[in-house]
Amino acid sequence: MENQDIKTKIQKYRFFLFLLTVYCLLFTVQDAHAMHISEGILPFNWAAFWFLVALPFVAFGLYRLRKLSAVDLSFKPLVGLMAAVVFVISCMPIPVPTAGTCSHPCGTGISGILLGPLISILITAVALFIQALFLAHGGLSTWGADIVSMGVAGSFAGFLTFRALRRVKINMAIAGFMAGLFADWATYLTTSVELASGIRGDSPFLPLFWKIVIAFIPTQLPLGIIEGAMTAGMVVLLYKKRPDLLVKMRVLKPEEVAI
Amino acid sequence: MELFSEYYKKDHVLSRIDARVKLLVALVLLSLVLSYKGFALPVLVTLLCLFLCIRMRIPLRVFVMRFSEPLFIAVVVVLLKLFFSGEDALFSTNIMGLKVVAHTDGLMEGLLIGGRIIGAVSVVAMLGFATPFTEFMAGLSWFRVPKGFIEILMFAYRYIFVLFEDAQVIYQSQKNRLGYSNVRRGLSSFGTLAGSLTIRAFDHSQSTTVAMVQRGYDGGMPMLRHKSFKSSEIFASALFLIVMGVIWRI
Repeated sequence: MENQDIKTKIQKYRFFLFLLTVYCLLFTVQDAHAMHISEGILPFNWAAFWFLVALPFVAFGLYRLRKLSAVDLSFKPLVGLMAAVVFVISCMPIPVPTAGTCSHPCGTGISGILLGPLISILITAVALFIQALFLAHGGLSTWGADIVSMGVAGSFAGFLTFRALRRVKINMAIAGFMAGLFADWATYLTTSVELASGIRGDSPFLPLFWKIVIAFIPTQLPLGIIEGAMTAGMVVLLYKKRPDLLVKMRVLKPEEVAI
Repeated sequence: MELFSEYYKKDHVLSRIDARVKLLVALVLLSLVLSYKGFALPVLVTLLCLFLCIRMRIPLRVFVMRFSEPLFIAVVVVLLKLFFSGEDALFSTNIMGLKVVAHTDGLMEGLLIGGRIIGAVSVVAMLGFATPFTEFMAGLSWFRVPKGFIEILMFAYRYIFVLFEDAQVIYQSQKNRLGYSNVRRGLSSFGTLAGSLTIRAFDHSQSTTVAMVQRGYDGGMPMLRHKSFKSSEIFASALFLIVMGVIWRI
């Protein structure tokens, strides 16, 4: 009898419930820092799985850090500061005109370009850890999954795109733009895979994956472009003001600066 | 950045417990919440954490801000599951000729995930409120987390506040010069802001290294020394986890 009452009440508000769902799915998913998978979303086994996937990348990052900091004492402070930059950038709300909401860039594209993907993964891991612990963005249990999407996918996509375009002599601004764009979109695709596999329960994977991808589109498509523009702006500014830093980070060859 | 460790209350009983014990209890509790297949444990953990937050006099505003994002995500997941998952129809509606069905089993599944999210966030939020950053780092080093990782964490934590202030100053001056008056200028200004932060990060890293080398830095940073464990803390924590384990089993 009581069950019937609940059913009646739910039926009474069904249209409102549906509209709320559509609104949440289409317009506000990104508003809640959805690049980070929230604490508790992934069940234990999936959380553990993504930790195992992330672990070797972080280990390689640490190995590289140890090697480079043995040669240059300023390398550890530099990596720490870049982690702080990624933290600050990924906390900045930027308006997404198509969705009428705010979202945030990842910042992993630029760290991948400047310090290489392995160090960038380490930087992302550090930024995500602090955000999970003190701001409830992301989570400790979803740390592995977030490292894989933002760190591994984002950094490698940004780094490889930038290097490939520079190799074929594409100019700095366009290469930076494409690197930021692909870093963002790679992160969002990987996040969709992680979310769909984690919350699907007994339902098939692919339909839910596509629903999540579609839900991300209104914000993530323009956000990728914004992140691309931001990365291009950063690279161009560094090129104009401090090309020595780009040479130090082996983004540019010394002769390219001389020209 | 007022949301960091500044709400840590020294005089609260939870704050006095060894960071290593708190970390271990939090991780076990997190695993229990994540692997639980019902509502009771996440609800119990959430209520317990809520009670402790009130006892620690965490301002309501901070508490609400910390929970707003996960709560919102929990609502989205519940709605997603309600309409797009399950087989047992609860109700259906026609929207512009499109038949949409809500499912009872989808709703239950969504509520389970939602409960898990709030329970897990409560545990981590409590850990954050009750542990200062430096003690937390010392705890991590005791658990043999690689030293390089902890050092990067400490550098990042130290400079987040500096860079936030820098970012605010740059942003304000850009805004005063109509740097965000339209989308195109806004994008350009944001790129400049992010680029300036990167340049400052490089410069800070150089000056920090020089200052640290002058004070004897050789590539490694010292951690807080660990005190010996208190048997009362270990006993109380073990008892607490056993009780939670029993509830998990039920």
